[in-house]
Amino acid sequence: MIKLANSLEKISVWSGQLIAWLTLFMVFVTFSIVILRYGFETGSIAMQESVVYMHALVFLIGIPYTLKYDGHVRVDIFYSKMTARGKAWVNLFGTILLLFPVTLFIAWISWDYVIASWELGEESGEAGGLPGVYLLKSSILLMTLLLIIQGSSQLLVNIAFLTSKTEEH
Amino acid sequence: MAAMMPLFLFAAVCMVLLFGYPVALSLGGTALAFAGIGLLTDTFDPAFLQALPNRIYGIMTNQTLIAVPLFVFMGVMLERSKVAEELLGTMADLFGSLKGGLGVSVILVGMLLAASTGIVGATVVTMGLLSLPIMLKRGYHPSIATGTICAAGTLGQIIPPSIILILLGEVLSAAYQQAQLDMGIFAPETLSVGDLFVGALIPGLLLVLFYILYLVFIGLMRDDLIPKVISAETTQSEHILYRSIKALMPPLLLIIAVLGSILSGAATPTEAAAVGAMGALFLALGKQELSWSVLKDVVQSTTQVTSMIFFIFIGAAIFSLVFRGFGGDELIAEFLTGISENDADSFLAQLFPEGAFGPVLIVMLVMFLLGFILDFIEITFVVVPIIAPVLLTMGVDPVWLGIMIAINLQTSFLTPPFGFALFYLRGVAPKTVKTMDIYRGVIPFIIIQLLMLAALAYWPQLATWLPEKVF
Repeated sequence: MIKLANSLEKISVWSGQLIAWLTLFMVFVTFSIVILRYGFETGSIAMQESVVYMHALVFLIGIPYTLKYDGHVRVDIFYSKMTARGKAWVNLFGTILLLFPVTLFIAWISWDYVIASWELGEESGEAGGLPGVYLLKSSILLMTLLLIIQGSSQLLVNIAFLTSKTEEH
Repeated sequence: MAAMMPLFLFAAVCMVLLFGYPVALSLGGTALAFAGIGLLTDTFDPAFLQALPNRIYGIMTNQTLIAVPLFVFMGVMLERSKVAEELLGTMADLFGSLKGGLGVSVILVGMLLAASTGIVGATVVTMGLLSLPIMLKRGYHPSIATGTICAAGTLGQIIPPSIILILLGEVLSAAYQQAQLDMGIFAPETLSVGDLFVGALIPGLLLVLFYILYLVFIGLMRDDLIPKVISAETTQSEHILYRSIKALMPPLLLIIAVLGSILSGAATPTEAAAVGAMGALFLALGKQELSWSVLKDVVQSTTQVTSMIFFIFIGAAIFSLVFRGFGGDELIAEFLTGISENDADSFLAQLFPEGAFGPVLIVMLVMFLLGFILDFIEITFVVVPIIAPVLLTMGVDPVWLGIMIAINLQTSFLTPPFGFALFYLRGVAPKTVKTMDIYRGVIPFIIIQLLMLAALAYWPQLATWLPEKVF
């Protein structure tokens, strides 16, 4: 079970580590936009939109990745004082009752929205903008898929921990 | 019963949050459960949730919010390249020969760092790890040391360019548009993040000034709390001065460049953030702290912090759509307007737009209490969109409201026994520092904060004057 959890987890880790480099490119591209505007008085809509695409990808694909490293803020007044077992119970129930419903709901409600964009072959509203708005919108669904995978991994890890006979601290 | 659903929803969310599962999912999950109940009992209009994909897409493509990952990048880069450590060390040397000088350095470094971080916990922990051992070693009373660090660490929220102010500005800007449309103004004025930055300058710097005055005062009066300086190394003073300038100039120039370009209107916050991030990169490069592993660490931390913030935004979007679907916004509006009608003709009430005093006071009190369980980001995304349009419709100035919210929450984070900053500092403080020391230490700073809030209520110009001058 742990083995399966680990291989599921790798998907979030790899995708997150890959996408993280986009933050560096965001800095470079936005900086170039500033230089071009104030140095050469030109600008490129496509360049600006590429920053939007990178930004959206970073935080969407980063969501399951951040979950893996426990980077999502918790209200930890009580949580921080719980035993490892108590925390595992919170995470188990949280995954089943909160993570899965929310993620599946986002996927379900966004489905038609994304499909409609594909059918239109939706392009940027601005002249000279990027043509792939439907791809950008699809990243919402990609996020939900990755989040379900990462959630499943955590489900397995917590079940394995709670059913193991090892002593708690 | 059905009319009370929004209140039940809010209470349930608070309870679920206390279990400690990630906030974004707790918000969204609880709200969806209520939407389900509402659908079964026919008290909820599902059309509201249809707006969710468009909301998420709006968050993805919001130009101003792109400043967030860029500022986070800049902050993490500055932290990893040890700029903060060096700054504190040299400042302490520079002011070390003055009584209370170390405390003043901590406040000043907190202010400078503040500009680059936005998460309460992170700054307090960093400041605590860096400065608490030095302060204790030099004989500062634990309560003075911890109080100073908590105050300096939370200062970050209101000194521009804080990430919190960007998020708050974005949410308030939407609320301001809505409020003006509700009032039938179809060519509405806009509120920019820059307005909020400029508005926060005077109140923020005043707070810094009062913190420093307090420390100097204690230094003069009480030898038992702040010790005399044992040996001033006068022979090396020239060397120290040179070193301080060398350590201080780069980050200072960076902050001035970032703030200056926003304030002068030359660059949008997003562009300024990119310039700042680029500057931080060069700074690290110049200090030879920029290795492959540092860079990898920086991009990964940036991604995690960014995702954390935006995931809460998405969770809060689900919550607020469900809250609206149950008529929660009307409930709040009615409640606040009700208070407004009962508003007494007291002396304070006359300082506010007609009838706005009571509602503002209630909102501030509620936010103060919520600050005990929710961090700034959550309150900005969950509470501000509900209450701000109502208050703005009453004629409250949006910049002023934003600054009041920011200082109010900062005070909340400092207030025992639940304040966030106290928890975080407790976590990194040695056992010899008693929890009561921390509580006692922050009280003078809380009083300064409350006086600042009162001053802002009495002279709203403290926040509104500069934005009018600049823009």
